[in-house]
Amino acid sequence: MEKGSHYQHFDGKSPLEHLKAARKKGLLASESVHGVEPSGAIIAAADSAREAAVFLTLLTVAFTFLQIPHQLCLLLLFSSMLFIWKTCRSALWGWSRLEKIHRLISQEKWEIEHHREQEKEELLELYQAKGFKDKQLEEVVEVLMADDNRLLQVMLEEELGLSLGSFEHPLRQCIGAGIGVLVGAAACVAGFWLYHLTGTLLSASLILVIATLVAAKQIGNEKIKSLIWALANAAVSLALPYFLLKALQG
Amino acid sequence: MTKGPYLFDEFFSSDMNESLSPFLTSSSKWYSKNLQLRASLIAAVALALAFALSFFHKPLSSFFLVIVYFFAGTKAFIDTIEDIRNFEINIDVLMTLAAFLSVLIDSALEGGLLLVLFSLSGAMEQVVERKSQSALYKLRQITPNFAYVLAERGNVYEKSIREIEIGTKIVIRPGDVIPLDGVVRQGTSFVNLVHLTGESEPISKKEGDLLQAGSRNLDGSLVVEVLKTSAESTLSRIIKLINEAQETKPRVQKVLDRFSRVYAITIICLSFFFMLVLPFLLHITFTGHEGSIYRGLAFLIAASPCAIIIATPTAYLSAISACAKKGILLKGGVSLDAIAKCTMIAFDKTGTLTTGNLTCTEFKKIYGDSCDEKEALSIAATLEHYANHPIAKAITTYAAEKEILLHDISSAKVVAGYGLEGKVSIQGKVQQVFIGNPDYIIPKISPAAAKALQAAIAATPFPICTLLIHSSIFLFVFVDELRPHILQTMDSLRKEHHMQVLMLTGDHEKSAKEVATHAHIDKVYYELKPEDKLRIVSELAITHSLAMVGDGINDAPALAQATVGISMGQIGSDTAIDASDIVLLKDDLSLIAWVYSKAKKTISIVKQNLSLALGVICLVTTPALLGFIPLWLAVILHEGGTVIVGLNSLRLLKK
Repeated sequence: MEKGSHYQHFDGKSPLEHLKAARKKGLLASESVHGVEPSGAIIAAADSAREAAVFLTLLTVAFTFLQIPHQLCLLLLFSSMLFIWKTCRSALWGWSRLEKIHRLISQEKWEIEHHREQEKEELLELYQAKGFKDKQLEEVVEVLMADDNRLLQVMLEEELGLSLGSFEHPLRQCIGAGIGVLVGAAACVAGFWLYHLTGTLLSASLILVIATLVAAKQIGNEKIKSLIWALANAAVSLALPYFLLKALQG
Repeated sequence: MTKGPYLFDEFFSSDMNESLSPFLTSSSKWYSKNLQLRASLIAAVALALAFALSFFHKPLSSFFLVIVYFFAGTKAFIDTIEDIRNFEINIDVLMTLAAFLSVLIDSALEGGLLLVLFSLSGAMEQVVERKSQSALYKLRQITPNFAYVLAERGNVYEKSIREIEIGTKIVIRPGDVIPLDGVVRQGTSFVNLVHLTGESEPISKKEGDLLQAGSRNLDGSLVVEVLKTSAESTLSRIIKLINEAQETKPRVQKVLDRFSRVYAITIICLSFFFMLVLPFLLHITFTGHEGSIYRGLAFLIAASPCAIIIATPTAYLSAISACAKKGILLKGGVSLDAIAKCTMIAFDKTGTLTTGNLTCTEFKKIYGDSCDEKEALSIAATLEHYANHPIAKAITTYAAEKEILLHDISSAKVVAGYGLEGKVSIQGKVQQVFIGNPDYIIPKISPAAAKALQAAIAATPFPICTLLIHSSIFLFVFVDELRPHILQTMDSLRKEHHMQVLMLTGDHEKSAKEVATHAHIDKVYYELKPEDKLRIVSELAITHSLAMVGDGINDAPALAQATVGISMGQIGSDTAIDASDIVLLKDDLSLIAWVYSKAKKTISIVKQNLSLALGVICLVTTPALLGFIPLWLAVILHEGGTVIVGLNSLRLLKK
């Protein structure tokens, strides 16, 4: 039996394996339910603008080929529906993420209060991996263990990989999402009003380019690569209904 | 990583309140503040729009109603599901059920109104309760997390107080709060117990003296041997006492909850019973506008306790608001209930009946003739300019009042834990002078002088300070001043409100009785430890309803255990404030009589409101069930009753 498996807290894992599992848990908690949407009003705005542009373009394609009347009114209606849906959903994701992180911090606090020895072992592993040895390692761990606030912060940041003071409030994020939908929808509707399907396609492309560049800059991704992938994704999504509808028309 | 350790204590003591989340950026925490109140206000605006539009544009009115149900109803609906899952059927469940079922009988506006009022009342309660939720946060804030442990070869390192064992030696630096109970093994210093007892007078600590966790070390460094672990320290014991006292308190709340549960279950059962039975009794159909389901729902809405729900909180909130304008903070309406039934009131002495500021009342020579009093006072005042504690302040103020000029002095220095010393030139001769506590002076004087000094000390019940100039000894006597208007307050409490007035103090008999006589106190309990105060208060709170007024941490358990605890907002320790039910923000004791009258009036208005609300329900439900009163009239009568109840409560806003 390995040393770590003596502790119920480690679930039969060694301290190092436990640390890996904890970091995975922290990463999952910091993500949104749907995936890895980073926290931030600007990113939420960019994401929502892109989604609104693609969604409204798809609708315009369908309306045009199926020759549905009152197309502008319908686009406005769908835009307002999309605005409410995206805004509320963004807030709900944010709250869900916050709730998960709060559960984790509460659990970590409990572990610090009830399993001090195991927490100490985890710290030893963590700081050994950072190059600390012998007496120096013991001193570092003793200093960290002296203050519960400090220990909790270290465990959150080092063990779970969560950063303090780095998440935006769900309401602020949802305001970003709302603004994104408004901008995306306004551009598409205006494009349609001026040049019908062509106008919508042009406006949507413009929104897609701007939003992708803004998001790439925020996340720190390569801009050109992100842009090409986003455009390719949109092209495939639009091509399917466009050509299928064309085929149906004979 | 953020700079320095983050303080998670406030977040956890607020039950992980979102606005205090350590993960949110500081700029976005604002969004969490009063979230429910803001959602309720949005719902209220949407309801007003829905109502206005209902007269000329039904679809738009319905859209705004959806907004109302979204903002005010979603949370209520989730809470209701939670309550039902936990088998807790209460007024909240009934309200939500009535509000949502009202949509089925085309009365969504009334349902929306119910939800908005319900949500607003919940949000207001949340705002008031949040102040008391962090009850122990401030106390924990002054408790250090770690201590400086003295290791072999003089090394000092930080260690969590949870891991420090009895017998460990710790170093206390000037300005530090003592983290654990212990005994001084090395060094001398003054310590201040102001956080624990409200006493501002610094106390000298030397080798062999005991130190309590929570007191603040003022000037010298100390090496202390730990006598108790963190779980058994004075501060932890006080935290435990407050927890226990607070848990045993809300009896009124329990009665209200029990009533609401019985009421809600009865009304829900009756509604379904009528829906099922009425067709057989009155020969009507199940469906349709005259059907039993329609009447059952009308009964449920008419019986929904809208007026009852607002009868109590609006009255209490109005009273709380009026009190706030007067500088009185009430932690919920229960405090008003509690004070209204009090027949006895107990005061702490230092900091509560008195201001906590020392005033020098007497300065006299008690031995020797090498220096006259005027010159001695000048020397004392000059020396005390080098110190910064209440005694020093009292002496310098006393000298200034007597228009005494300062003396030339050299080599003045502070002797930590004892006093001050310096050199002065008197009649051309350089003399060594000392000022401080008697323990500091006695080893420096002759046996005859020591005897005279000890006799003088024994004769006074008040704090003293000794000055030694060559062979002459002078004594300063201080008193803790009574608060202004104390006599009128006591007379008003006894004569107008027929309350028995007591004093509970940790001070010795002489000093306690002296203050009691001056303040017209009926009965005095003296030389009490925090646990003694708690025991006396618990006993008296059982036989009489007792209000306790205090300011120190040592009063906190008694404040929490009393029928109602009243603390002083300015001089009071944060813990006493948190443990109490009523806070006098301006430390004005004369407001106790005023708040007592306001509480009596609040109870009277609550009774009127409840009678009216119940009366309306009794008058409307049965005829509505029998079909004598149409639904629209039932709703108007029901909501009319609610408005009258609300207006009646607003009378309490008057100062």
